[in-house]
Amino acid sequence: MRNISSVLGRLAKTVSVGMMLLFAVTMAHAQDVKEGETLFKSKCTTCHSVSRNMVGPALAGMSERHSEEWLLSWIKNSQALIASGDETAVQLFEDWNRLVMTSFTDLSDDQIKSIIAYVDAEGAKAAEGGGDAASGGAGSTQSSDANTLMIFGLIAIVVLVIIVIVVLNRVIRTLEKVIASNQAAIEAAQAENEAYEEDRFGKFARAFIRNKKLVGFSVLMLVAFLGVLGWNTMWNVGVHEGYQPVQPIKFSHQIHAGVNQIECQYCHGGAFKSKNASIPSANVCMNCHNTVTAADHYDGETSPEIAKIYRALDYDPATREYGDNPKPIEWVRIHNLPDFAYFNHSQHVSVAGVECQTCHGPIETMEEVYQYSPLTMKWCVDCHKTTEVNADNAYYDQLIEAHEKLKKGEKMTAAMIGGLECGKCHY
Amino acid sequence: MDSNKKYWKGLEELQQTPAFVENKKGEFAEPIPVEDVLNEAGLSTRTPRRDFLKALGFGLGAVTLAACNRTPVHKAVPYVIKPEEVTPGIPNFYASSFNGQSVLVRTREGRPISLTANPNSIGLNQGTDAITSAVVLDLYDMSKLQNPQLDGKDVDWSTLDKTVIDALNKAAAAGKQIAIVSNTVNSPTALAAIATFTAKYPTAVHIQVDAVSYSGIIEANRASFGKAVIPSYHFANANVVVSVAADFLGSWLAGEEHTQDYIRNRDYKSLKNGKMSRHIQFESGLSMTGSNADVRIAIKPSEEGAVLVSLYNAITGQSLAGGVSNKKAQTAITLAAKELTNNRGNALVVAGSNDVNIQLLANAINSALGAYGAIIDLDNYSKQFQGSDAAFQQFLSTAAAGQVGAAFFLNSNPVYDYVKANDVTNALSKIDFTLSFADRADETASTLKAIAPASSFLESWGDASAKEGYFTIVQPTINPVFNTRQAEQSLLVWAGDNTNIYDFVRKNWEENILAGTGKSWNEVLQLGFIYKGSSVGSSYTANVDVNAVANAIGTTSKTIVGDFELKLYESTVMRDGRYANNAFLQELPDPVSKVTWDNYAALNPRDAEKIGLGENGKVTVEANGYSVELPVVLQPGQALGTVSVAVGYGRTKVGKAGNNVGQNAYPFARLVNGSVQFEAKANVAKASGTYELAQTQTHHTIEGRNIIRETTFAKYLKDPNSESGRFADSHKTYDLWNKFESPGHKWVMAIDLNACTGCGSCIVACSVENNVPVVGRDEVRRRREMHWLRIDRYYTLETEGGRLTEEKEIAKASDYDYEDVTVVHQPMLCQHCDHAPCETVCPVLATVHSSEGLNHMAYNRCFGTRYCANNCPFKVRRFNWFNYWNDSRFDNYLNNEFTQLVLNPDVTTRSRGVMEKCSMCIQRIQGGKLQAKMENRKLRDGDVKMACQEACSANAIIFGDVNDPESEVSKALRNERVYYVLEEINVQPNIGYMTKVRNTFEA
Repeated sequence: MRNISSVLGRLAKTVSVGMMLLFAVTMAHAQDVKEGETLFKSKCTTCHSVSRNMVGPALAGMSERHSEEWLLSWIKNSQALIASGDETAVQLFEDWNRLVMTSFTDLSDDQIKSIIAYVDAEGAKAAEGGGDAASGGAGSTQSSDANTLMIFGLIAIVVLVIIVIVVLNRVIRTLEKVIASNQAAIEAAQAENEAYEEDRFGKFARAFIRNKKLVGFSVLMLVAFLGVLGWNTMWNVGVHEGYQPVQPIKFSHQIHAGVNQIECQYCHGGAFKSKNASIPSANVCMNCHNTVTAADHYDGETSPEIAKIYRALDYDPATREYGDNPKPIEWVRIHNLPDFAYFNHSQHVSVAGVECQTCHGPIETMEEVYQYSPLTMKWCVDCHKTTEVNADNAYYDQLIEAHEKLKKGEKMTAAMIGGLECGKCHY
Repeated sequence: MDSNKKYWKGLEELQQTPAFVENKKGEFAEPIPVEDVLNEAGLSTRTPRRDFLKALGFGLGAVTLAACNRTPVHKAVPYVIKPEEVTPGIPNFYASSFNGQSVLVRTREGRPISLTANPNSIGLNQGTDAITSAVVLDLYDMSKLQNPQLDGKDVDWSTLDKTVIDALNKAAAAGKQIAIVSNTVNSPTALAAIATFTAKYPTAVHIQVDAVSYSGIIEANRASFGKAVIPSYHFANANVVVSVAADFLGSWLAGEEHTQDYIRNRDYKSLKNGKMSRHIQFESGLSMTGSNADVRIAIKPSEEGAVLVSLYNAITGQSLAGGVSNKKAQTAITLAAKELTNNRGNALVVAGSNDVNIQLLANAINSALGAYGAIIDLDNYSKQFQGSDAAFQQFLSTAAAGQVGAAFFLNSNPVYDYVKANDVTNALSKIDFTLSFADRADETASTLKAIAPASSFLESWGDASAKEGYFTIVQPTINPVFNTRQAEQSLLVWAGDNTNIYDFVRKNWEENILAGTGKSWNEVLQLGFIYKGSSVGSSYTANVDVNAVANAIGTTSKTIVGDFELKLYESTVMRDGRYANNAFLQELPDPVSKVTWDNYAALNPRDAEKIGLGENGKVTVEANGYSVELPVVLQPGQALGTVSVAVGYGRTKVGKAGNNVGQNAYPFARLVNGSVQFEAKANVAKASGTYELAQTQTHHTIEGRNIIRETTFAKYLKDPNSESGRFADSHKTYDLWNKFESPGHKWVMAIDLNACTGCGSCIVACSVENNVPVVGRDEVRRRREMHWLRIDRYYTLETEGGRLTEEKEIAKASDYDYEDVTVVHQPMLCQHCDHAPCETVCPVLATVHSSEGLNHMAYNRCFGTRYCANNCPFKVRRFNWFNYWNDSRFDNYLNNEFTQLVLNPDVTTRSRGVMEKCSMCIQRIQGGKLQAKMENRKLRDGDVKMACQEACSANAIIFGDVNDPESEVSKALRNERVYYVLEEINVQPNIGYMTKVRNTFEA
C-alpha cells in the first residue's frame, strides 16, 4: 500500500511540471533560445549554472559583462585567450583557482550565440521570477511542493465546510419551524410505527432461535469464517510484502536505474562479492552528485534531496570543501530477513546469475522501493526447487553424480544438490 | 576386540559414589517434576496441577499480548565514506603478533573478531594457545580504563603529560633514579623508545621482572657457557625426553612451540615411519605434560634435585652425593639413563625448577648427552623471558632507601604477583612519583599516583622478537576504542620526542631490522615476520662444578622437606594471571583436573583421606607465613605428601569476571639464592565448611563404555592394527535405516589421540568462532557448560604388575596409592553420525542429516524437548537454559553492547530453550564452497579449516572431504590405528579416532 502523501506528492509534481511546460511555451519566442537551451544543457551544465556559481561562475549577465566577440573566443579556447595575455581572461582564470575550462572548438559562432541568447533569456526570467516571488506572485507556484498544495487544499476545504454548515443551519431552522407546527400528528404516527416494528423483529428472532438447524449452520459459518480469517492472518505474521517505509532521502530507483540506466553493481557492489548487497556510502553518491545537482528542476538551487547527501558528508557545494562533522544517512531497512536465516547475495547473483529483479521486483520503475517478495521460507524453497544450477561452474565438476547428470543433459536444481537442507541457511 | 582397561574420569566414577550414580542415572541432569505434577498427590506439591494450569493459561495470554506489538523499524546505516579495503560481509586479515607469535587477525567491518596462527610463519606456533585464541575478548573488556588517571580521577593526556614531565624533571634534578619496571620486553621498538627515554633522563634504568621467573636458567647458562640466555629447545630432534618437573607442553617457556616439535615425533605420520620418541616425566602434581608422558614418576618437590643427581651419576658413572632414595624413581632413572645414553645426541633433559643449581646440573647432564647444538640451541636463543629476580630486589631496596624519584610499571603488577607484596608496597610509598601503563586499575596501578592506560596490541603499532633473529610486526586492526595511548608513544612524548609511533616503528625497522634482508616495510606488513637466524646452533660444553652444585642442591632441598611439600605451578589456562578477566579462559576446564573458575589445593586421595577430607572439602594451606583456605581436588597422580596450588588466581582488581576467582598463591613462593622458587614446606590442615568446585570431569559421562583404544609402541610396531578394535572387521552389521548417500562432499574428521595433549585451545577457538556463551561458575556446577567441544580426560591406574582389568581393579582400588596413573585425552564433539540417534527422536525435525554427511541443527525449528541430548550416546548436545547474550544475570561475562562486538556475525547467537552443538563450522564450509564457485574452480583440500583445527599446534585434528581420496583426512583415515567410537551400535560416526600409543619401558 503506497501512502497518501506519496500520491499527493506525485499529483503535486504533475501539476508543477504542467505549469512549467505552460510557462516555457509562453516564454518561447525565438528559435535560437531553444537551440541554446539544448546546447547549454548538453555542454555547459556540468560546470555552470545560469544563476549560481558552481565549478565555474554563474553565467547570468555574461553578455553585459563581456563583449560577444570576447565570449566567442573564450568559449572556443579559453587557454589561447589567456595565453594571448587578455587581461579580463587572465583575471577570470586567476579568480577561479586556475581551473581550465574545456575548449569547445566544435561549436559554431551561431551555436555559441544561441547559448548566449538562452542564458540571457534565463537570466532575465530568473530576475523576474525573483521579483515575483518577493511580491508573492504566481511565479512561486513553480516551486510549490506537496506541502503547500496540501495546506491550500485544506484551507479551501475548511472554508467550503463552513459555508455548507451555515447553509445547512439555515435549512434546519426553517424545517424546525415547520415541524413545530405539525408536532402532534407526527407523535401519533411514530407510536404506531414503533409498535409494529417491535412486533415484526421479535417474531423473526423467535422463529430463528427455534430453528436449531439454522442456528447450528450460522454458528458453523461464523466459526469457519473466523477460522479462515485467523489462519490467513497467522500465516502472514511477519510477512511484510509491499513494505514501503519513508526513507530519509526520497531516492528514486526509477531515475537512477530506470531512466539513467546505472548498473546495479555501481552502487550495490557488495551484492556481487559479499553476503551484504550493501547500501552505497555517501562518497559513491558524490561520484555523480558532485556535479549533478538537479538544479534545473529547482530553480537553480541544489535539489533538497541531493543537499541531504551534502549535509551527510558535511560538504559545502559553494566552497567545494568537506567539513569534519559528517553524519551517516540512516536508511530504513526494507528487506528484513530474520537473524537465523543466512542469506548470501554473491551466491545468488554471481554464482547462480539470478537477476536482481527476480527477488526485488521491477526496481527500475520504483519511485520509492518497497518489498516485492514475501521473503518467506516457502518462497525461498519454491525457487530452489525449480532453479537449475549453473552447470558451467567448474566447482560442480567435483560433485561427480551431479556432473554425470548434467552431462546427460538432465535437469539439476539447487534442491537436488542439497539446497533444501536446513543447515544451508540456518546456522 | 574390547580393551580390558578400566578408564575413569574421576574418583567418583571409579568408586561409583552415590552422587555420581544418581547423576548418571537421570534422563536429564536436573529431573523435571513431571510425575509430581501429574499424579494425585500433585495438588499438594509445591507446584500443584491447578497452579500449573493457571500459570500456563496466563503465560499463553501474556505471550499472545506481547507478540502483538508492531514490527520494529530496522535502520541500515552505511558508511559515510567507505574505506576502500572494507567490503561489508567479507573479513579482512591483518598480520600481527601476540606475545611474539605471528598471528593473523580477522576483522569484520573494522572490528577484530579472532586470532589465528599465521600459516606462513616459520616461528613459534602452527596453532594458537588458549590465551591467544581468547585474547580478542580483552579488547572489548568493559573493565578497562577509558581515560588516563591522576590520583584516581580522569584527566586528559596533556594534563597527565605535564605532571609526568614535571615529576621526571624533578627526579632528574635531584639525581634520583627513574625506574621503568616491566615484564620481559623483547620488542625492538619498545626498547628503542626506552633508549630514547633513557637518553633524555640519564638516571633512568629499565628493570625486567617476570611474575613466573626463569632467571635460574639464565644465571645457570651465564655460569656454564658465559651466555645469559634461555636457549631454544628443539624437541623435534629429541628421541628421548626426560623432564623433571617441567611442564614444557603447557606453561614452561614456549608451550606451543614445544608441542608442535614434540608431537612431530609422535603423531600418525611419525608412527607410520615407525618412529616415536620416549618421554619420561618426574613431577609432583599431575601436569598436562605429565599426563602425556610415556612414563611418569611421582616425586616430591624436594626430590627434584636428587633425581637429577642420580640421573647424572647414572649417565656419567660418577657418584655424587644426594641421589634419590625413592625406589620407583630409582628404577625409572636407571632405565631412563640407559635410554638417554643410547640416544646420545638425540636426548634431552629439562628441569622446571628456577633454582640455579638444579639448572646447572641439568646443563651438565645435557652437556654429557651432547644435547647442545641441534637440540638445545644457545645461538638462536629465546627472548621470551629475560626477567631478573635479582634486579627487581635491587630496585626494591633502592626504592626503600628513598633513592628512586619516579617509577613506571609496564605490564608489571608486583603488588599482586611478587613474593613479598609488603616489600613492594613499602618501596612504592617511598617513591616520589609512580605511574602504571596498565589498561585497568589493577592491584598495583590502583595504588599509584597516575595511570597512563596503554592501548591493546590490537590498537597499536609495534613489534616483537621472541627469538634471536626472529622479528614479528604488530599492526593495529582498530582505532583505539577508549582514550588510550600505547606505552611506547607515552615514553617518547615524555622524552620530548614527538615522533608519531607509526613513523618511529617504521624507521626503526627500516634502519635496524630490514637492512640487508631485501624486504620492504610494506612486504613485512603483509608477511608479518622476518627471520634472520641461522639454522642450527653450534655445540657447547657446560663448565659446571658438579660437586659443589650437588651439595648446594642437597642443602636447598632439605629446607623444603616436611609433612607436606607445596608445589606452585602455572596452570595451562590461566598462566601468570595477566588475563584473569577473560571469561573464555576462566571457563576453560583445566586440562587435567577439569576445574573451571577456581584454583584449588590438589592432594593425593590417600593424603586427603588421612586428613579426613572428602569431596567438596576445604583445607588451610600454610607456608612461608602465608595461609589461605582452598577447596580440595582429590588428584590421582599427585605425589604422596605433596600439595599443588596454581598461581594466577585470586586477583582482586582485574575486572568483573576475574575478581576474587580463587586465591592468590604467589606469596607461597620463596626467594632462594636470589631467585623466586615455587617449592616450599607447607602445613595442610582440614578447614571447616565445604566448597563445590565447578568441575566438569564427570559431566556428560558416557557410562564407562569402551571408547578409548590404547596400545604400546612395541605392540604397534608388531601390528599397526594393535588394539584399534575395529568392530566392523569382526562383525557383520545390519542396518535399520537407509544408507545416506553423499554424492558431493562428505565432511569428516580424524583425531589423533597420540597428538592431542589436552591443552584445550581448540575449545576456546571453537567458542570464539561459534559465539558459544560463557555461563559462569554456578551454571557449570549445574552441568550446564555450553562448550561444543570438550576434552575428556580418562585415568587408568598403573601397578607394578601392569594394568588391571575392570573387576580386579575396582575390588582392589583401595590398595593403591593413586600415584601411578596414566591419562588419555580424548576430544569429544558431535560425531555427525550417519545414523544419528538424535535425528530419529526429534519430534519437529529440527536436527536432520545433510547430503554432505553433516548433522544439521536448525535452531529456529527446535523447541527444546532435549530428547536429542538424551539420546546422544556421546553427550555432545548442549541446551540453552538462558538467553546468555541478553540476560543481566550473565552481565559479568559477555552480555553487554560493547563486549558483543566480539561476536562472529556469520553465526547466530542461540536463544533460550534450544539445543546447540558442533556444526562442523558450517559457516566456514559454506564460505569455502562459495569462494570456489566464485573463482570458478573445484574446492581444494585445505580450503576449509575448522576453528579447532586451526588452533591445534599438534595437528591432532584433521578435517576434510573423504570423497576426495587425495585429501589429508582421507589419507589419515586409511591409517591402521583408526577406530570409530561406539562403532558397535552402528551409529556410523564421521569422526575417526586414532589409537593412543604409549612408548612404555616394559613392552
